Amino acid sequence: MSYIVDDDTLTKLADIIGGEDAVKIINVLKNSDEVTDEEIVEKTGVKLNDVRKILYKFYDHSIVSLRRTRDRKTGWFIFHWKLQTNQIEGYIKNLKLRVLEKLEIRLQYEKTHDFYHCGNSECERLTFEEAMENFFRCPKCGRPLQHFDNGEFIKKLQAKIEELRRELYG
Amino acid sequence: MGSRSSNRSDLERRALEIIINSREKGILQSELWRDLNASSREGSRISIKLEKKGLIKRRRELANGRWTYRLFTDRMPPRIDSIFDSPCVRCDDFYRCGYGGAVSPNKCVKLMRWILKN
Repeated sequence: MSYIVDDDTLTKLADIIGGEDAVKIINVLKNSDEVTDEEIVEKTGVKLNDVRKILYKFYDHSIVSLRRTRDRKTGWFIFHWKLQTNQIEGYIKNLKLRVLEKLEIRLQYEKTHDFYHCGNSECERLTFEEAMENFFRCPKCGRPLQHFDNGEFIKKLQAKIEELRRELYG
Repeated sequence: MGSRSSNRSDLERRALEIIINSREKGILQSELWRDLNASSREGSRISIKLEKKGLIKRRRELANGRWTYRLFTDRMPPRIDSIFDSPCVRCDDFYRCGYGGAVSPNKCVKLMRWILKN
């Protein structure tokens, strides 16, 4: 028995994987031992195709397990789904590790580059090399480029990295 | 007999769910049995069982002039809040984005907005 996942986390995880419909589905799975796709359709009102798509997404991440039986009358397969709460901690940890990796890559990039920007929020920042190539004019709006201070971004990036490291490694 | 034991394990599961959802704060034993519609005798038995399994901890506490127990999870459940609003976890390129990959986080505007919003 390993039921160490709270409702809030389960709901948020389902939302990340498949949005509102996935939340409805996970609520049914959470309250049942094993459940078929058709029973989920009945309880959630979500279309069968969408239910199956989301269940396979859960299955890809081992959040649910699948058992297959054959209907004696029709000969068709019946799929029985079960929530695997003991896999969720590992899945969340993996998500965090991957996000952390991206943030660390970005931090390195921010620390080793100088940036230039035109001040227009719709335009992208350019590195020093890119700004030179464009004669310090924004290639999108044509405005002159000014040096962009990324100090605040670096500070917040480091704070987020620290937060994730603490959660992952204590 | 089978049904009685399945009722018991169902009650155990529901009790654990409530304790987990109460997170760090925990829940008083008396409040829990009220929520579960269980007798205090049955309740104490289940909480001792959960403690023995290493799933919860019981701490003595004086509430309204009576000694009772506060129950809380031994192991904290995982939290997803720190990355829930991250654009990465909903990005189609989540598993492709990285060092030297076809997609890189270096120029991601969504990632920058997310970090600056925090």
